[in-house]
Amino acid sequence: MTCLGNAFCYDIDMLRTMKGPIISLRGITKQYPPDIIALSDIDLSIEKGEFVFLTGPSGSGKSTLLKLLSCMERPTSGELSLDDFDLTNLSASQVPYVRRKVGVIFQDFKLITTKTVFENVALSLEVIGLSSEQISKRVRDILELMGLASKTDRYPPQLSGGEQQRVAIARAVVNRPSIILADEPTGNLDRGMTNEVMALVEELNAEGATVIFATHDESLFAHTYRRVLTIHEGRLRA
Amino acid sequence: MNLNHFIQRAVADFRQNLPMQLMTTVVVCLSILIFTFFSFIYYNLQRTVERFGSELGLVVFLKTDIQESKIPILHQKLLNLPGIENVKYVSSEEAFERLGTYFEDAKGLLEGVDQHFLPASFELRINRAIFNLERIHALAVELEKWNEVAQVQYGKSWVDRLSAFVAVGEKVIWVSAVLLLATAAFVVSNTIKLAIYARQEEVSIMRLVGATNGFIQGPFLLEALFQGLVGSLLSIGLVFLCYSYFKGIVAQTELMRGVELIFLPPSYVISIVASSVVFCVCWTFLAIRRFLLV
Repeated sequence: MTCLGNAFCYDIDMLRTMKGPIISLRGITKQYPPDIIALSDIDLSIEKGEFVFLTGPSGSGKSTLLKLLSCMERPTSGELSLDDFDLTNLSASQVPYVRRKVGVIFQDFKLITTKTVFENVALSLEVIGLSSEQISKRVRDILELMGLASKTDRYPPQLSGGEQQRVAIARAVVNRPSIILADEPTGNLDRGMTNEVMALVEELNAEGATVIFATHDESLFAHTYRRVLTIHEGRLRA
Repeated sequence: MNLNHFIQRAVADFRQNLPMQLMTTVVVCLSILIFTFFSFIYYNLQRTVERFGSELGLVVFLKTDIQESKIPILHQKLLNLPGIENVKYVSSEEAFERLGTYFEDAKGLLEGVDQHFLPASFELRINRAIFNLERIHALAVELEKWNEVAQVQYGKSWVDRLSAFVAVGEKVIWVSAVLLLATAAFVVSNTIKLAIYARQEEVSIMRLVGATNGFIQGPFLLEALFQGLVGSLLSIGLVFLCYSYFKGIVAQTELMRGVELIFLPPSYVISIVASSVVFCVCWTFLAIRRFLLV
């Protein structure tokens, strides 16, 4: 078991021994009515523990791909599997269980403004039915790790953009998902905060989480050794 | 996820969305208040008419030349009629005395008047259980055929007018009640819908972190139950306050002597509260359902 602080623990040895794709797309097409093709014939395989950058201009289909992976959208055709789930034929009642395996970080944070920082992060643990004591401990640990220990009772509008994004990351990873989908998470942040967020996501990946990081900021992956996927007009370029 | 957890979340949500929750509760309360107040008026009107009707009796005036010996026989004959609860003989002397009491402030009017100028009569009280205006009318026609009877009175024109008024009133009240119910349902359902729309983002975020539909709906339905319950109880409480206030006024008003205000019976109150709760819960269920469809 490897842990990031006390809060974020993956069984990294288990993850490394379980080689094989955690995400697999075969001929995935997504079409919106009447005839807008957002994704066309996408074939993609992502290994467990991999960190992949997903880039492309605005409207190229990055967000649509992430929406398919988080079950916010269904593919029009093709086969899509995520961990042990076949998303192509997934029943509505199974969707929440897929989402618990996927932590999503958004550019606009998507925090509930009427709930405190603690309550926002706790939501991910409440849905999986942990006890109040377990929730309290894990939320406090992750908030401490994210440098937000002193802001647990604040509401999102009382925080800076970087702090809000850290809360969103805390919420996305507090239930230890095996996959993290980041949709332009640094789009609203300055350089300093962007580096901070990147460091956090890389640390989570180092602990065993598979990461798909969508961005059109080339500086984030210009000198990386990681795989970079480019989408242009709904098609994937190697 | 147990009920206790749902309640805790519902309480927290209620606190966090207090203005919206209060607005919905007030709208529920006002909508039901209008309907409850209307029901209260209708119920009392119906009861008053029923009471006046059932207290109605017949007065059988005898011919002036009737023999004294025939009075007991007639008395028994009237008592034997179906539906007659009580028969009271009023002699011409007693009728004169009553007239004297009536003109107490102007006694001079009856000076020198023959004490036997008023006809003797029988006052018949009809059994309440079988009270029926048509039966009274048929009975009056039948009694007028008797040789000893001069005339039968039972306030026909008054009863006819009252019945016509009640019949029209009943139709007006039913139409108004349906319109009021439709208005209340429209206002409450749209307020609930708006309240859910305002929390649409919250619902979508909950879905995103893997919340099941039951997890999301639970607190919303509990909040709706609370709004329906509190809204309807408040409205009934307000109508009860009005009832207490008007009851005193009615009792002191000479014109309304004999009229007694009655509060809605428990069955009405329970129906109003239950309908309100069921409506709020069902509508919330339907309103939130559209955000839960994948």
